[in-house]
Amino acid sequence: MLLTLIRQQFLSHLMSARFFAAVIITLLLVVFNTLVLIDEYERRLADYNIQKTVHRQKVEAAETYSTLELFIERPPNPLSLFSTGLEKQLGSTVEIYYSLVPLISNASARYLANPFLNLFLKIDLAFIFQVVLSLLALLFGYDAISGERETGTLRLLVSQPVSRSSLLVGTYIGAMICLLLPLLLSLLLILILLSTTSSIQLSPDDFLRISGIFLTTIAYVSIFYLIGLFISTMSQRTATSAMLCMFSWVVLVILYPTWSQFTMNPVGDTHAEKSSVERQVNQIWEEVDREKRRFVANSPLMGKPPWFNLTGKGAVAWGDGRYKVNLELDPQSEELVPHVQEYYKTISALEIRLAKKTALIREQSLERTDIQQSRWDELLMKLSPASLYRFATAAWVGTDLDGMLDFAEATQKYHQALINYFYQEDAFASRLWFASDKGIVDWSNLPQFHFDRKDVWVNAHRAIPELFVLLVMNLVLFGGTVQVFIRMDV
Amino acid sequence: MIWHILKRELFDHINSLRFALTTFIMIALMVTNAIVHLQKHADQIQEYSKNVTVSINKLKAQTRLYTLIQRGPGELYKRPSALSFIANGGDAFLPKLVIDDDSWTAGDVKSIATVGYPETKQKSKNLRPPGVPLDWVFIITYLFSFIPILFSFDALSGEREHGTLRLCLANPISRSLIVVSKFLGILIALVLPFTFAFLLNITILSTSPWIQFAPADWARLALVFLIVCCYACIFIAVGLMVSARLERRMSLVVLLLIWVIVVVFMPLTLGTLAVKWSTPIQTVHQFRATKREFINNTRTENSRKWIQMKQHIDRNKAQKDELLSLLRFKMEWVNFDRNIREDLNREYLMAQIKQVQQARFVCRLSPAATVQYTLESMAATGLNRHRQFVENVQLYTKRFRQFIVEIDSIDSESLHLIGIPEGMSNKPITPEQIPIFEDKLTFRDSFNSALVDMSLLVLFAGVFLSGACLFFLRADV
Repeated sequence: MLLTLIRQQFLSHLMSARFFAAVIITLLLVVFNTLVLIDEYERRLADYNIQKTVHRQKVEAAETYSTLELFIERPPNPLSLFSTGLEKQLGSTVEIYYSLVPLISNASARYLANPFLNLFLKIDLAFIFQVVLSLLALLFGYDAISGERETGTLRLLVSQPVSRSSLLVGTYIGAMICLLLPLLLSLLLILILLSTTSSIQLSPDDFLRISGIFLTTIAYVSIFYLIGLFISTMSQRTATSAMLCMFSWVVLVILYPTWSQFTMNPVGDTHAEKSSVERQVNQIWEEVDREKRRFVANSPLMGKPPWFNLTGKGAVAWGDGRYKVNLELDPQSEELVPHVQEYYKTISALEIRLAKKTALIREQSLERTDIQQSRWDELLMKLSPASLYRFATAAWVGTDLDGMLDFAEATQKYHQALINYFYQEDAFASRLWFASDKGIVDWSNLPQFHFDRKDVWVNAHRAIPELFVLLVMNLVLFGGTVQVFIRMDV
Repeated sequence: MIWHILKRELFDHINSLRFALTTFIMIALMVTNAIVHLQKHADQIQEYSKNVTVSINKLKAQTRLYTLIQRGPGELYKRPSALSFIANGGDAFLPKLVIDDDSWTAGDVKSIATVGYPETKQKSKNLRPPGVPLDWVFIITYLFSFIPILFSFDALSGEREHGTLRLCLANPISRSLIVVSKFLGILIALVLPFTFAFLLNITILSTSPWIQFAPADWARLALVFLIVCCYACIFIAVGLMVSARLERRMSLVVLLLIWVIVVVFMPLTLGTLAVKWSTPIQTVHQFRATKREFINNTRTENSRKWIQMKQHIDRNKAQKDELLSLLRFKMEWVNFDRNIREDLNREYLMAQIKQVQQARFVCRLSPAATVQYTLESMAATGLNRHRQFVENVQLYTKRFRQFIVEIDSIDSESLHLIGIPEGMSNKPITPEQIPIFEDKLTFRDSFNSALVDMSLLVLFAGVFLSGACLFFLRADV
């Protein structure tokens, strides 16, 4: 009996014009946007490669250690076409400097293409599913029960030897199978399109991630179908049910996420906190100035860095408290060179120590302000299943805040690697730190930066809370519907 | 008879569930918008006035005419619009100021101030989940297309199913009048809650000391109201059109799919697609490389000439007119350098803006995008406003340079060679005389830039309404 029910439901949906129209629209949107998104990904990949070349040229142009300008670039995530998350919003270029520990907020975005094009908001594939499939699910659900009641066929159904709850189960399964069709077809099309492009190579892990997204999408679509079913059981007329469904859709999917993010600011104003941290950091850095003066007073060096009482030619760039020095010394300054080397050795060691100290303060403050705010936003937005779905897909893909923090961690590791490299080459204490008159720096041993995304289990671990909440919502809604349906007068 | 139908329609709608829900949602959103804007706007204004004061103080501290032309007017800031609650206009992606381009020194020759446009170099401080601001554009593009559809999808099809449409047609009234009266009924039912929310929003905003609406702002607001009504008309008409032909359930499905495509997806994808197919412009790297190449070329060439001339003068004892021609050469050099750099900067900016405008042209296929651009123009935010700001800056720099020339021409001791320290008046200037940049937004500018979009909206509404009448004329009842 249950099977007959499922088949009847499935076929009636499958044959309906709305199903046909919706499938066509979904597929069109998916194909269209996948093409656009692949193109966009390829452009970003090209930009990434250009940037990398530019960064490498900058490294090779440095003749002394102190003139090194080291930048690293976050590679674009090939799965970001499923869910963009924070990927494009956060900068992808990070400067690595020995006396500055890079945090997530130190990245900067440089647009190679026209920056005004950012006025056009971008979408991803998860957004299409989020909007179109949920709407489709509601359109299937809003008249599932109330429609049958109005036409009188519900009485016939109830008179059959089948319990009311299995009646609901049958309706649910029939409709869900039908809803899965457009999803499966779109995924198939996406995979076909992806396999035709050479720039995106999907690894087995990526396929697991995509299946994770698939599961999440099923749970998400099912929620909206159940909302439709629930409203349809509650309301007497199809017209009322349709109105309630449509309004809850527009509120949950379109309005609430924007509203909550725009309105709620639980962390409050962070200007005070930020400026106080800035003051603290500046105070710590004052120690460097004191140390510099003390060192110069106790040594034959005179005057101010980086020239002291040296003579010669050279280029000096100064900014943000950093000296980039490339000198060619006159012979009479030679005897001062060991002192200058000693100077840079002492000061750099101090700077590295203080950089770690300030990094701790800055990190904590960031945790308290921006990251806290972002987590709160997520939490509040997650009251809507649509946002829950967005965050879950971003977590699968690795473009959520945690994924971005992974990158920040990698940059910090690389920063430490740079310091180790400098120590290993004895760069701070060498003449090459400030002068290139007796040979220039050979950068062939400079450690290279690699960023590998965390493996799929980490992604799964991050996505599972959202998936769990989605499933719980499903159960609650289903239970509620069954309860109402059992007590209903037909 | 038309009044009769209209009245009945209106009462029907006002008593319905959807009307109650619409009113609630509309008021909730508009009140939120006002409250949040109050706080944000105060911050914006404070930041703007702080920046402007710093910039003006720097300018007024100058006493020599040469430093004025060498350092230029400094950073010029865009005035935040009081109506930015209507349209945010992608403020995060648009520069807020115009800066002085890089300066250079070659021996004893120094470049003079050049208008430069800052590269958008966003520091990624914003870790909050990506989202759009809750401005009127958001509220209106989504709600004022979705709700008209919900009101109109069963306007004709529902009556046809109940059989009341036949009764209606039995009366001595033409079919198009029925459509028009239904149209008006829905429009009034929508405009009522909107008017209420609109007034509430304005009332909350006007309690703030930071926001003072000028008469022009009231005119803008009134126009915004009309634009919103016009936008709603389009979707009511489309709803009636579909409802005239299809049965009720099908008409809901079709309308929702149309809505999803036209309102949600078209504004998001068409722009990107249009850019893909448009002619590519220089990337930032390429532009910087061409500019650098040009600057270096002229500089090496001119430096060589400069040194030659100087040596020549040193060898055979300086004649007065030879000295003068040397100075004239120097002046021509720095001015030429400035003009070319300014032209390059401006051309690149205009190419960038033009590319976006071409893409926007395609986006106008969707009324949601059209209404967004119209509201941006009215609120004086967004791309058009940025272009006007850049024009204002250019006018001001012209005036600023004119001023320097005028002051210089008064001094009879000066050689009137603008751009080099030896050729300009050395008399101290009074700071009050220096012209100050004022970023003005005139109503006429906004109106002109919105005119095309507004006519497009009216056209859309007219076409679809006549479409609805035509469809209904041929429909079987």
